[in-house]
Amino acid sequence: MPEPLLTARGITAGYGSQQVLFGIDLDVYPSQTLALLGANGTGKSTMLNTLSGFVRPWSGSLRLDNEELAGKPAHRIFRRGIVQVSQGRDLFPDMTVEENLRLGAAIRRGPVGQLLDNVFGSFPRLAERRAQQVRLMSGGEQQMLAIGRALMSQPKVLLLDEPSGGLAPAFVREIATIIGVLRSTGVTMVLVEQNIKLALKVADRFLILRDGRAFERSDMREGAISEEEIVRSIYL
Amino acid sequence: MLLMMAPQLVVSGVTTGMLYALIGLSMTVVYRTTTIVNFGQGDMATAGAYATLVFAVGLGLNFGVAVVLAIGVLFALGYVVQRALLRPIANAPHLALAMMALAVGYALRGGARLEWGNQFMTLPRPYPQGALALGQVVIPTDTLVIVGFVLLLLLILLVVFQATPLGRLTQAVFQSPRGAALVGINLDAFHAVAWGVGAALGAIGGVLLAIIVPLTPDLGEWVLVQGFAAMALGGFGSLGGVVVGGLLLGILEKLLGFYVNSMFIDITGYLITVVVLLVRPQGLFGRRMIVRV
Ligand SMILES: Nc1ncnc2c1ncn2[C@@H]1O[C@H](COP(=O)(O)OP(=O)(O)OP(=O)(O)O)[C@@H](O)[C@H]1O
Ligand SMILES: [Mg+2]
Repeated sequence: MPEPLLTARGITAGYGSQQVLFGIDLDVYPSQTLALLGANGTGKSTMLNTLSGFVRPWSGSLRLDNEELAGKPAHRIFRRGIVQVSQGRDLFPDMTVEENLRLGAAIRRGPVGQLLDNVFGSFPRLAERRAQQVRLMSGGEQQMLAIGRALMSQPKVLLLDEPSGGLAPAFVREIATIIGVLRSTGVTMVLVEQNIKLALKVADRFLILRDGRAFERSDMREGAISEEEIVRSIYL
Repeated sequence: MLLMMAPQLVVSGVTTGMLYALIGLSMTVVYRTTTIVNFGQGDMATAGAYATLVFAVGLGLNFGVAVVLAIGVLFALGYVVQRALLRPIANAPHLALAMMALAVGYALRGGARLEWGNQFMTLPRPYPQGALALGQVVIPTDTLVIVGFVLLLLLILLVVFQATPLGRLTQAVFQSPRGAALVGINLDAFHAVAWGVGAALGAIGGVLLAIIVPLTPDLGEWVLVQGFAAMALGGFGSLGGVVVGGLLLGILEKLLGFYVNSMFIDITGYLITVVVLLVRPQGLFGRRMIVRV
């Protein structure tokens, strides 16, 4: 195994006096995808938000390329290359697809034409709709745009929070394909998913979150373990 | 003939209307970046005028220098107010933020009362007081100066908001603050600077105002009502709209005040606000309210 790109050690976090994360350790290796699985409300989004700086950890260490990032504000962590696609997508609803994508590279200096072409190359659906207002797009298209916007900043680590959430099966397959392509092109990802099939298809490693604690499941691979067994370990 | 007074009343209405427009513009800058209507803006404007008074009259500095210093002071004030008072309650309901802005205004007004009580102060005119005669109509230098300044500021703001990357970012922050944070924008700094710029613009409005009307600690309340009415009439968030709204308000109050009853000078702003909010809440040029996706 190479050195991990991103490591978290002993992360605790919460809201007000309510603790949500109770000492999470995780390692993300370059060009790999780590899946974070767990039932509703177990703290998956909180963990991703801690990695991206939107939630400040109470304690613990968060290192990217051996640089300590815990406690840094979100915009600094973004500049270091940890970029999140949030569960709510948080697009700019009254702007066009292209404007949203360009804003994904807002803090870059210099031309973004090449980056834009790359994203349109990977997302033909977005290319067809480049002048469309985002408010009028379907949930699946918006999800693609959210991923595309995050890619515009050429992240070192891409955090995806339930990209298949609430989408029709056809779109779930399309999103799965896209994530697969990203992985094969070497994008490092942390993927939160409730759709276990999708996670099994694209992830290299699995972490299960239960009540704010994490358990690694190294035996989880497509076919190596029954889906029922996975569901059991997540929910029971 | 009474009717012959109309053009002169319009000139007078344009003068005050442009000042309302400027206050409205300063509030629009804050609104378009933070979605907050700054109910303390009237008092920030008078604070700008008082600061100029202190620098120009109290310390005897050159008027231009005094204004620049006052603008700087108000920028800092707006920045600090956002950082110290609004940021800590950023996740509170909008009403709490509006109340905080109002409270800041009251605090500024209280401070002015301590020092100036009920005195009427005036700022010295930094230019000769003259007038331009156009047939029967007299156009005072004040009008030319005020119209010139407001149009210049409007032009600058339009260019910045509509045609620069900064304007695009501002739109992004307005439409989805969290989205903006997700693309790496430092939201705290963005909001604080917006408050600083809003307060600085308000200070320019306060200075121009205090040249033509007596400055009192309570002037801020009236200024707020007029600026808010201009915004409501023009449509919240529209830069051109707020200028048109301010102009209409200024002209209307002079005409109604002269031809109908002088009380209209005081109440037209309230009337317009009430009527617009009831009949056409989006104002003349406002877009539909933003509904988040
Ligand atoms: N902003 C917040 N303020 C207060 N409590 C929160 C906040 N966000 C999440 N929580 C609480 O923290 C706990 C973990 O929430 P989190 O969103 O991290 O879970 P999750 O695993 O992502 O759930 P889901 O699968 O529903 O997305 C929940 O009890 C939730 O109610
Ligand atoms: Mg979640």
